[in-house]
Amino acid sequence: MTPATPAVDRQHSGRLFFVVWAWLFALSFLSWLVAYFGIAGIPRWSLISVFMLAKAALIVAVFMRLAWERLALVFAIVAPLLALVAFISALNFEAVYIHSQRENYQGVKAP
Amino acid sequence: MVEVRAGEEGFHPDDFEDEEVPHPRSWWTKYVFSQDAKVVALQYAGTAIFVGFIALVMSWLMRIQLAFPGALSFIDQDHYYQFITMHGMMMVVYVLTAVFLGGFGNYLIPLMIGARDMAFPFINMLSYWFYLLAVLILLSGFFLPGGPTGAGWTLYPPQALLQGTPGSQYGIVVMFASLCVFIAGFTMGGLNYVVTVLQLRAPGMTMMRLPMTIWGLFIATIMALLAFPGLFVASLMMLCDRLLGTSFFMPAIVQNGEQLAHVGGSPILYQHLFWFFGHPEVYIVAVPAFGIVADLLSTHARKNLFGYRMMVWATIAIGVLSFVVWGHHMFISGMNPLFGFFFATSTLIIAIPTAIKVYNWIFTIWRGDIHLNVPMLYSLSFIVTFVVGGLSGLFLGNVAVDVPLNSTYFVVAHFHMVMGIAPLLVIFGAIYHWFPLISGRMMNEKLALAHFWITFLGTYAMFFTMHYLGVLGVPRRYYELGQTAFIPPSVTSLNIFITVLALIVGAAQLVLVYNFIRSWRHGEVAARNPWRATTLEWQTPDMPPPHDNWGPQAPKVYRWAYDYSVPGAPRDYIPQNQPEARA
Amino acid sequence: MPTDLTVAKKSALRQMTDDWSADQRVFRGVTWGKAMMWVFILGDAFIFACFLLGYLAVRHTTTEAWPNTAEVFTIHVGGKPIPFLLIIVMTLILDSSSGTMALAINAAHRRERKKCAALLFATVLLGLTFVGLQAMEWRNLIAEGLRPAHNEWGAAQFGSCFFLITGFHGLHVSFGLLFMANIARKVARGDFDDGRRGFFTGRRGRYEAVEIMGLYWHFVDLVWVFIFALFYLW
Repeated sequence: MTPATPAVDRQHSGRLFFVVWAWLFALSFLSWLVAYFGIAGIPRWSLISVFMLAKAALIVAVFMRLAWERLALVFAIVAPLLALVAFISALNFEAVYIHSQRENYQGVKAP
Repeated sequence: MVEVRAGEEGFHPDDFEDEEVPHPRSWWTKYVFSQDAKVVALQYAGTAIFVGFIALVMSWLMRIQLAFPGALSFIDQDHYYQFITMHGMMMVVYVLTAVFLGGFGNYLIPLMIGARDMAFPFINMLSYWFYLLAVLILLSGFFLPGGPTGAGWTLYPPQALLQGTPGSQYGIVVMFASLCVFIAGFTMGGLNYVVTVLQLRAPGMTMMRLPMTIWGLFIATIMALLAFPGLFVASLMMLCDRLLGTSFFMPAIVQNGEQLAHVGGSPILYQHLFWFFGHPEVYIVAVPAFGIVADLLSTHARKNLFGYRMMVWATIAIGVLSFVVWGHHMFISGMNPLFGFFFATSTLIIAIPTAIKVYNWIFTIWRGDIHLNVPMLYSLSFIVTFVVGGLSGLFLGNVAVDVPLNSTYFVVAHFHMVMGIAPLLVIFGAIYHWFPLISGRMMNEKLALAHFWITFLGTYAMFFTMHYLGVLGVPRRYYELGQTAFIPPSVTSLNIFITVLALIVGAAQLVLVYNFIRSWRHGEVAARNPWRATTLEWQTPDMPPPHDNWGPQAPKVYRWAYDYSVPGAPRDYIPQNQPEARA
Repeated sequence: MPTDLTVAKKSALRQMTDDWSADQRVFRGVTWGKAMMWVFILGDAFIFACFLLGYLAVRHTTTEAWPNTAEVFTIHVGGKPIPFLLIIVMTLILDSSSGTMALAINAAHRRERKKCAALLFATVLLGLTFVGLQAMEWRNLIAEGLRPAHNEWGAAQFGSCFFLITGFHGLHVSFGLLFMANIARKVARGDFDDGRRGFFTGRRGRYEAVEIMGLYWHFVDLVWVFIFALFYLW
């Protein structure tokens, strides 16, 4: 069997991938800087989250090429992931509650 | 940058349309290491039924102990708990899940959607061998020192890992290892089922023309793929706690005056992860049963399915909602009380799509031309059993009612009715329905009727009685009740009643096995399409279907799966692949 | 190749409902293998999400203080402590392997055999470096007294989560490398050009395998993004 040659040109120029690659480096480096300078508390978590989500979005959209897929596939992949966010938040909520119970009844102090 | 339109980038399936089904060349690749979904299905179902008989014998032993304490001297407390645990785990995961998805899924999905095989036959074959490996690992627990785990099928920490629980040394390790292998194997099969339904349908077969059987299997598979990760991760963490001494789930514990090495773990986290799997699992078993029963009712009542679209959307709604109700298994676990409110509400909401399905089944047979043959009888008995089990679910879904009923026989009655017996009745009905397709012969109807009446009436009487025991407050998972003031003597006689029934019903399953084997060889040769069904699996060139299902000409689909008794049509059914109503 | 020219004119949402109500296939233009890999990734994402939520839950539940990760993962360079040095290097290497993988897929689309093979081998090398650095990290920390069940810096669950999560991710990387090395060899040998049959499956290999492998590899990188942020930096 000879592989069929694509009838239409269905490729991207390599340049886009280099740009994304550079962005990934930059975002990794930025989140590292957050840790390096020891930014703490809410600013640390929000900065790290933003960089994390930006990186994830770039990888999924460009490297995994979801941006060029039809909406049927995009929706099928992304919708269940949103459920995960709910699950993770629920269990976080629960964990904080259990900790408060341990504080109340076992006399341990918050770390 | 080149302009690229959505969905046209990269490789296109049309570039590879000449994919052929490789034909087996030897006996081994045809019957043992077969990549044919139909053979894999029989392997899956056969293994699962074998495991089912082991689990059945264990339930016998438990029942004998409950009715006649001490009658069998080898059943001590440890063995009793091991039987409980293995019976539950085997039935839920290794029997029901495997029979529905591995068995019926493999056999019916390619045939009913008009595909030649699964999308990835090799991975499909691997899926079965992983499953068999998981079963062997599970059974190996019986031969290890200390025996299999006796922690209850939910395997809750810390008790599951503590000394004193039977099998806490090796049995629990084997249990979790087996679950991990099962999940790996199931994932391989599950990917196949999902991709096959999504991408390999026949021309003309839209999603909204799929028979309900396929919808049930499809939604159940998606649920399984997303729910099993919770169990997988919980299993790995439990293995770490047991083998490496970590404390994911193990809190600080003093046992026999001795402080154990564990510190600060969260047992409730395990319960969350387990039930994040466990509750969808209930529907993984139930939803394929819903689908199959819809098809059986429609076919044997010669009437179109009532509210097909509503049924599809109800199935999807059940699938989605089943992921947000897991906490109703944990009302008394000590989780955040706010969760109790949330999960009670979502549990009551999931009753709505379920009720829609029940109404639609009943409307389907309403004024239909009901043929009271064996598959139909099983379908009707399913509705009865399922409604009773579902209604007791509404009791247990409310926090205030659940608190006193929890851990009593009411719960045992509820889940056996709703996810034990009800799906099992569908499995039996489906076996009688599709046996002619698989073997080319009919099953003996007299034996089948005997099997049906004993099984249905027996199980119904058994588990309906248990509701009463539960309301009396008889606790579940007790080795023996002893002399407890609040337990009246009627409980003892009822326990004997249930046990005798259990022995009879269990033995009656041998009738099915005998009927199956005998009919396979000597049964009456089946007519083509003996039930005069519309779905594609009956329209194959041969019966049983050949390796590539369709021979040279793959089917085209022109209509939905429920064209029964169409006014003006020459016959009372029009197959899905028939273009004109008046052909 | 059949293309529906009206497609471009429709709105994306309309297109989606059309795709879901079409016959034969829902994901138009998506090969079976790619669809399978996407579904697999979805399931695997749930596994890693369960790991991460388990980690976050025990971290919040435990009554011992969580160790200061900046201290634990510090490496001294010329006497100067640099936090997360090894981790950021590992991150950049894994990101780079994702970059070469993306280029390899592009080459595969163009059927550029040599370029594709070279980029795949580069990805394998970068991946091997990542696994090597991870092994080094494990060795260092074990030497410093980190164990799955206990450590000197704080809550015992820190070590448990560290070994379980990075271990499971490392396992994904390693398995990916095995498969990728095999695919790279097949590309280099020209299996996908002359349609040679696979040893196990008996089916013809195709350049599509590179793209499917790539999806998996990017997913492994994606998971690392979350581990990097939520476990190391959080």
